[in-house]
Amino acid sequence: MSLFDKYAPLQTRVDMMMKIGKDALGVEFDDIIDATRGRIGNREILLAGTNNYLGLTFDEDCVAAAKKAIDDHGTGTTGSRIANGTYTEHVDLEKAIAEHLGMPSCIVFSTGYQTNLAAISGLAGDNDIIFMDADAHACIIDGTRLTGASTIRFRHNNPEDLDKRLKRQGEIEGGHALVVIEGMYSMFGDIAPIDEFLDVTHRHGGYLYIDEAHSYGVFGPTGCGIAEAQGVLDKVDFLSSTFSKSLASIGGFCASKHPEFEITRKVMRPYMFTASPTPSNVSAARAAVEKIKTGGALRDNLMARAKQLHQGLAEMQYDLCADASPVIAVRRPNEAVAAMEWNWLIENGVYVNLAVPPGTPQSSSLLRISLSAAHTEKDINTILKAFADLKDNQGALMAGMASKLQAAE
Amino acid sequence: MSEPTREEIYDKICELLKPYNPKNHPIKMSSGIMSDLEVDSVAVFDLVMGLEDHYDISIPMEMVSDIKTVGELATAIKELTSE
Repeated sequence: MSLFDKYAPLQTRVDMMMKIGKDALGVEFDDIIDATRGRIGNREILLAGTNNYLGLTFDEDCVAAAKKAIDDHGTGTTGSRIANGTYTEHVDLEKAIAEHLGMPSCIVFSTGYQTNLAAISGLAGDNDIIFMDADAHACIIDGTRLTGASTIRFRHNNPEDLDKRLKRQGEIEGGHALVVIEGMYSMFGDIAPIDEFLDVTHRHGGYLYIDEAHSYGVFGPTGCGIAEAQGVLDKVDFLSSTFSKSLASIGGFCASKHPEFEITRKVMRPYMFTASPTPSNVSAARAAVEKIKTGGALRDNLMARAKQLHQGLAEMQYDLCADASPVIAVRRPNEAVAAMEWNWLIENGVYVNLAVPPGTPQSSSLLRISLSAAHTEKDINTILKAFADLKDNQGALMAGMASKLQAAE
Repeated sequence: MSEPTREEIYDKICELLKPYNPKNHPIKMSSGIMSDLEVDSVAVFDLVMGLEDHYDISIPMEMVSDIKTVGELATAIKELTSE
């Protein structure tokens, strides 16, 4: 018996993937050239799975801000804000985001994952009950596990189901309901009816927490996200997001219309006991916030590319998981087929994500594409051509997979 | 609804497990839901939502995390429907 025996079934899945081709969950790029191009060996790869929604990772102002911050304040913070203090960059970014959202409080965290881990565990106490969308991201699930609160899951994007479960719970003695949803969901790219969730949540005296990791910067007239796009931003209790997607950096934030949110800085363990984000990461995100505020043209291009790709794939009869959005997920029949097709795509110069259960809703196996404002019409045509060729070569691909699997046995 | 027996709950679990058990593993009270029936962690929560709705009860996620077998799930539902 070994400590690793429990991973034998997982190892079998990984082995199958490796017989088919590369490790889709551990791709090594030899170079990242710009927001939409990488290189593996001698082959240039069109990046269509990096969540670089606004394409700002090489933006000259973001790059210059990050470099200046290193020159001004060094490469690292070497510790947490409670031990090592707060840098001016942290304060500036918190103020800028709070102002952008029109909320009095904003707290910055070291990663997007830690943002939800910290804020959810800081907000929900032993007597509170968390109501969580069934398709919530792992960091929301893990955040609930750090609390003493009970967690009830409701059906995905279904305010009526939330209402039913809130009613079933009845009066929450000595506590409150914290309802946690996302703006745009990362796997299918589907969008929450935030206005309806606000109505149900507030009718039951609860608080609504929205993770806009995939939608901050991407939706809304000034890029505040889906809540802004739906005209209900001022009613949202808590809004979190990450710096690692449209903000082209790493880190995250949670903002609130409740000024009392500030007290959680003294209780959130993933905030208190980890190193604060570096001056360069924070400054890149700060520069990106300005780009987002006036980024209407970037958002227009992103949505135009999303519609172009969605329409093209739909015309080829691919099974798409949601309406056109910057995330377009193509449902495949099973994990082996999806893995084989993913390999074929990267061998032909297109990088998308292979997404498999339990990281996906409905136990789906997906080829997940995320688009960027930096993608051109021609880039989308390249992706469409690859998916068309994939369909044309399906017979040969299946035969190839069968022989690879047989040869490996 | 009158209080269901543990056997009735077991039958209901078997029925709701069908879509998550494509390999048709035999379902016993002692079957590990994830370990024997190969139901993934998210699908377990989906199964639980169906049971919550059928019996009009709340089964919090932290309770589900402690449940390993079909029998343990039946026992938990029996207790919640008796309250």
